[in-house]
Amino acid sequence: MNCKRKGILPLLLLVLSFGFSQEKYTLSGIVSDQKSNETLIGVTILFPELQTGTTTNEYGFYSITLDEGTYIVQLSYLGYGSISQSIVLDSDKTLNFQLAESTESLEEVIITKDVEKLNIRKPQMSVNTLTINTIKQMPVVLGEVDIIKSITLLPGVTNAGEGSSGFNVRGGAADQNLILLDEATIFNSSHLFGFFSVFNPDAIKDIKLYKGGIPAKYGGRVSSVLDIYQKEGNSKEFHMNGGIGLVASRFLAEGPIKKEKGSFLFGGRSSYAHIFLPLFDIDSKAYFYDLNTKLSYRLNNNNSIYLSGYFGRDVFEIADSFENEYGNTVLNFRWNHLFSDKLFSNLSLIYSDYDYDLKLNFVEFDWTSGIQNFNVKYDLKHYISDTFKMEYGLNSIYYKFNPGEINPTTPTSGVNPFKLIDKYAFENALYVDAEHQVTKNLALSYGVRFSSFLRLGQDELNIYENDNPVVFNEDIQIYEKADPIGTDTFSRSDVIESFFNVEPRLALAYQLNDESSVKASYNRMAQYLHLLSNTSSPTPLDVWTPSGKYVEPQLLDQFAVGYFRTINDNAYSLEVESFYKTIKNRIDYIDGADLIANDAIEQVILNGRARAYGLEVLFRKNKGDLKGWIAYTLSKAEQQTEGRTPAETGINNGDWYNTPYDKTHDLSVTASYKLNEKWSFGGNLLFQTGQPTTFPNGQYEYNGISIPSFDLRNSSRLPSYHRLDVSAIYTPKPNSTKRWKGEWVLGIYNIYNRRNAASITFRENRMTARNEAIRLAIFGIVPSISYNFKF
Amino acid sequence: MKKLLLVLSILFVFTSCEDEISVDLNNAEPRLVIEASINWFKGTAGNEQQIKLTLSAPYFDDEVPPANGATIFITDENNNTFNFIENGVTGIYQNSTFIPVIDGVYNLTVIYEGDTYTATETLKSVASIEFVEQNDEGGFTGEETELKAFYTDPADEENYYFFEFISDIPAIPTLEVYDDEFTNGNQIFGFYTEEELDTGDVVTIRNYGVSRRFYEFMFILLQQNSEEGGGPFETQPATVRGNCINTTSPDDFPFGYFRLSEVDEFIYVVE
Repeated sequence: MNCKRKGILPLLLLVLSFGFSQEKYTLSGIVSDQKSNETLIGVTILFPELQTGTTTNEYGFYSITLDEGTYIVQLSYLGYGSISQSIVLDSDKTLNFQLAESTESLEEVIITKDVEKLNIRKPQMSVNTLTINTIKQMPVVLGEVDIIKSITLLPGVTNAGEGSSGFNVRGGAADQNLILLDEATIFNSSHLFGFFSVFNPDAIKDIKLYKGGIPAKYGGRVSSVLDIYQKEGNSKEFHMNGGIGLVASRFLAEGPIKKEKGSFLFGGRSSYAHIFLPLFDIDSKAYFYDLNTKLSYRLNNNNSIYLSGYFGRDVFEIADSFENEYGNTVLNFRWNHLFSDKLFSNLSLIYSDYDYDLKLNFVEFDWTSGIQNFNVKYDLKHYISDTFKMEYGLNSIYYKFNPGEINPTTPTSGVNPFKLIDKYAFENALYVDAEHQVTKNLALSYGVRFSSFLRLGQDELNIYENDNPVVFNEDIQIYEKADPIGTDTFSRSDVIESFFNVEPRLALAYQLNDESSVKASYNRMAQYLHLLSNTSSPTPLDVWTPSGKYVEPQLLDQFAVGYFRTINDNAYSLEVESFYKTIKNRIDYIDGADLIANDAIEQVILNGRARAYGLEVLFRKNKGDLKGWIAYTLSKAEQQTEGRTPAETGINNGDWYNTPYDKTHDLSVTASYKLNEKWSFGGNLLFQTGQPTTFPNGQYEYNGISIPSFDLRNSSRLPSYHRLDVSAIYTPKPNSTKRWKGEWVLGIYNIYNRRNAASITFRENRMTARNEAIRLAIFGIVPSISYNFKF
Repeated sequence: MKKLLLVLSILFVFTSCEDEISVDLNNAEPRLVIEASINWFKGTAGNEQQIKLTLSAPYFDDEVPPANGATIFITDENNNTFNFIENGVTGIYQNSTFIPVIDGVYNLTVIYEGDTYTATETLKSVASIEFVEQNDEGGFTGEETELKAFYTDPADEENYYFFEFISDIPAIPTLEVYDDEFTNGNQIFGFYTEEELDTGDVVTIRNYGVSRRFYEFMFILLQQNSEEGGGPFETQPATVRGNCINTTSPDDFPFGYFRLSEVDEFIYVVE
């Protein structure tokens, strides 16, 4: 019903916008960095006399259509000097701007008041943008700048602690985040079990995290979108930069292929093979490396092409008994085309895969699994007028899942070769989204995404009695696997199961006055892929599985409201948001579910639901020598799996229980202070409620060993997590005119050496037969030093 | 630069570590624990059997109390009833007339403090341990003594195995369960490693034939007791239900299991 209305609304508004117009002309172009010609994302282009403006898109493009006239145009961007110039708009014009990075001594031209007003007015909420410069100033463990760790300092974002992969947004699971690197999906965002994230900070330009009010352009995951853009490379001059750290080193080269037209970027990063040796005190290896490449070429004013690639690997070897290797590969071709100065388009052809290989030599087998996908995206952005913009496009993804294959590694191995059945799926989406300034004070954005998911034919799909792969044993009150009554084999072109969802997205902003606005949003999203994981944070071994006959797609409804205010000419800003979301069909696992090497995963899965709600406060200080923010989140995240019939108990007696990522309080304070040209300092203070966990409430003896009996699921918590980190950046010769520029980054992570528990396990000591509680603390105090250079 | 790196690397300490802490836990009401394990060792008559009843206790208690004064009997398909009589107040109930039959179905009844508990299970056969292979540079670290107890899995059926390794070094037995999903019909092994096994140490290896239900029960049980368990990759712990039902008040379910197995024992002297 709603959708129908929404179809008519934009048309109506279009008519309104065009109804009484005088002569209008379009100003468009690209904004880039003066030195490197790197395009800049999110630059504000403002017309103060008209109280209107726009921002550059992900490819640095902007377009705005205004009445004929002579105007002042002002451009501003964080960390860059502003431009203010007069233009005579008496015809359609293309104007490319180049901004210069502000040398810190030069005060920015103060036009920020108007800039912020533009942000306050935009309907987009629940989004955080971090530039790579901000990220690089935060103190980090082991001196490695880390994008995933830095976003966990934002409100509503947490992770399961040190040594855990991924991140959780507004009480969502890690597999519910859509992580895009240059528009390509990244399936595993962590190196070395979460100690590092897979993104080389030197190659990254800009990141944007959507926690709610997610535009219709994005889909396929229900919690958040982390949109990361890589640099294009300097098309004016050849440059190199890098860093040498204790654990890893980085290197990046960039330069023109053809001056001001084409550029290349090549970045590499590797950790040192034996740094983790002390951890095991044996002959072992644990290291990672990744490569980022990008070629950009501007064919003419209307066409640009990009080819980017990412390749990352983790390698572990322990003695000769254990070898483990895994990683992502991404290859991506994009074509930007301007149909007119008002219609921008981007076509992306993407291949992405994740593969995992584990060799256990002492049991003589080799295990491989993975996921591959081919992705076509076509996105158009239509700048219809200064008050009305539309985005529309389509997206098709073909997936191949390899749930696993086991092979003997020796001729005498007792293991039989075995291949789990490959699965195939095809995901399609069509979307349209509009951003509309309805009145001076009211802005709306509304859109809809139509998504479909076709589970394609495979060999040997199990059939069960009553289509029920999990049966409940009423006598013992447990769930058990049902035995298949047969199998069906389909051809690859058959559709076994299809799903179709309409995902409306709606956001509005009402400007209260020059300093403040209120915003509200609603979004529905569907997720067709599920990461099979019953640990508190994902492991690299976990496999993805598509929705199908026995697994339903996850469906999210999220509502959010917020209050946004700038204080004292944007010296400070305050954002307060509250959200409520529900997710249908969140999968849960029966007790003792085996998720690895299971060819009939449907036998251990139950469909449950999840909900989360909370309040987020972000207070920022944006100006001066001392900058930073305080982020606080109060929230609750729960899930429930009820019995399917009154006779069944469900999981945890069918009661709501805390998800492992439920953190009641989450506070982080991040600050950076510039003392002088040579020294600047940074600090983080974190406090989080301990992670929910399940503790024993008793023990019993069976077959000579002590077995714990457990309380209700996730009814206990680990001790609170808190720590303080500090860092200092020392630039020995800030005013050096030499080409070579260097800086030292000194850091101390967890300065008061808090032994934060990553887990508490209960076990029977083998030697004494005594029961004990063991705390695992990953990082105590960790000092670090690294050296970064540029030339 | 390199020199500096070297110095720094030496200064740098990786501080991850485990330590024992004290935790306040809730204490659940005690439940009855039924350890009804009927073991028919190959080459014996299998008439002497015992069943152990205990109660659950607070997690950090050093001992668990016995459950005394119960009435226990097992019936078979031929209408034989085997009564198990408590030995003093030990919580150990004995019978010496038991008749084990491979693939025989047995019913257990325990009457304790007014509640009746029942279970049904099948006696499973097992493949013999053929030989044991020793490797002193084995295990995860390459420095442990590793024992592989080989047996040949029958190809024509689904089999489940429960292995017990008993040596003098740890205070508790090492238990493992295996299925034959990836090893059906092959010569395969039960696997045991110990850091400090010396020449002359004796390791008792027992291989029990068990049902799929027991395999699944024990699999979860071992996950939750295991030294290796826990850490960031910990699975959701849950109270494990065996195959015994309290027919009087089903919510007061017992812990434990009624298992019947053929057993092969191999005494291995470390070389």
